[in-house]
Amino acid sequence: MESIHVIIADLSQLTRTGVSAILRQFGYPTSCREIMHPDRLTDYVFKNHNTLLIISNSFISKCSSDQLRNLTARTRYLFKILIRDSGTLLLPIHTFNEIIEPEDNDKIIFRKLEKQLQGLLKPFTAGIVQEEISDREKEVLRLVAMGFTNKEIAEKLFISAHTVITHRKNITSKLGIKTIAGLTVYAVIHKLISPDIVN
Amino acid sequence: MLIHSKMKLAEVIHLNYHLLQIISRFGINLGFGDKSIEHVCRDYFIDVDFFLEILNSYHNKDYFPQKHLQGFSVGLIVEYLRKSHEYYLHTKIPEIEQLLQRLSDSYPEETRETYQLIDKFFTGYKLELSDHIQREEHKVYPYVFSVENAYLARNPTVEIVSSIHNYSMDDFEEEHDNVEDKLYDLKNILIKYLPLPADPRLCQAVLFELFRLETDLNDHARIEDKVLVPKVKYMEKWILEHFNA
Repeated sequence: MESIHVIIADLSQLTRTGVSAILRQFGYPTSCREIMHPDRLTDYVFKNHNTLLIISNSFISKCSSDQLRNLTARTRYLFKILIRDSGTLLLPIHTFNEIIEPEDNDKIIFRKLEKQLQGLLKPFTAGIVQEEISDREKEVLRLVAMGFTNKEIAEKLFISAHTVITHRKNITSKLGIKTIAGLTVYAVIHKLISPDIVN
Repeated sequence: MLIHSKMKLAEVIHLNYHLLQIISRFGINLGFGDKSIEHVCRDYFIDVDFFLEILNSYHNKDYFPQKHLQGFSVGLIVEYLRKSHEYYLHTKIPEIEQLLQRLSDSYPEETRETYQLIDKFFTGYKLELSDHIQREEHKVYPYVFSVENAYLARNPTVEIVSSIHNYSMDDFEEEHDNVEDKLYDLKNILIKYLPLPADPRLCQAVLFELFRLETDLNDHARIEDKVLVPKVKYMEKWILEHFNA
């Protein structure tokens, strides 16, 4: 079974230690990492699949606008739990799969964490075929969205045009998007290309 | 349940509210009291049999007495198709555009650029749809009328025969373009990939409208394919057979 990456993003050592102690009680295959600076988000959170991010509001207040944008993007493999510790919410409440409130007792916190961990484990235990596109497919998709023809893409990636077509078929069937315009929108939403390129 | 001329139009709407858009396409306004379909059609100078066939074919997808519908003149069918084109371009599409506008406005300023892409994507779809409609109205329908005129006059002239050789219903059927692909993509982007807006109901509202438009376009295409095309093909065949005779 693939393990779950848990990232605990909080400014306070006490909170980070407390959360990882609770997580250890579950016995799920988790690898836990604590971060105390927003720059580390990019290193750990957005690269791994199957990640549970536990982040506090005060930590979010230290994030740049780019980092905030990454946080709001919705992906199937990143679950987000907010620790509501202080101040007003800086991100829409829907960004988070769960919110831990200051007044939550140990049982409630335990239940909230467990629910998210199970959610992350589900696709694997249920044996669902993963529809995430591969890195190579992402690269092809990026070039398609930038308006290159199959032939041009083949030359850029040193592969045959036939292989490009196979990649494109797989991308379409995995994503459920048929048109170039649709793939472009997908690529922008997933930050594979910048909106400026399209404009 | 088959809809018939003695039924009250109000009851029919209660039976299936989707038919509201059909009656408005025929120019019928609400407020018809307890009048029967027959009566309302008389008031509005509508061919009641044709009206019933359209109502029934929308109401029940399996209902399609092609033979019966093919008894109507090309003019009646084309007039109806034109009205639905008008409804798509001037009512439905602008409604969806407004919803999409509200959707992209609901995202925070700094990420809005991304969501404006959805608007742009829909504009692309609108252009394709409108090209498709223009082609039908300016190329296909005039052709269809000329075939019907020649057929009714029992006069297979050189002109009409050469125009059939030039462009026939076989070509029309082959001119299948993928207008519906973009609609499919947009639905999937909204369902699967778009980050939730502040008000998730907006996304749902857009999706409802897209699904509805798609269903309506499919019904529309069914009338073209199952009624107009076979009818014109039959007349083309008659003309070609009688040209040399």
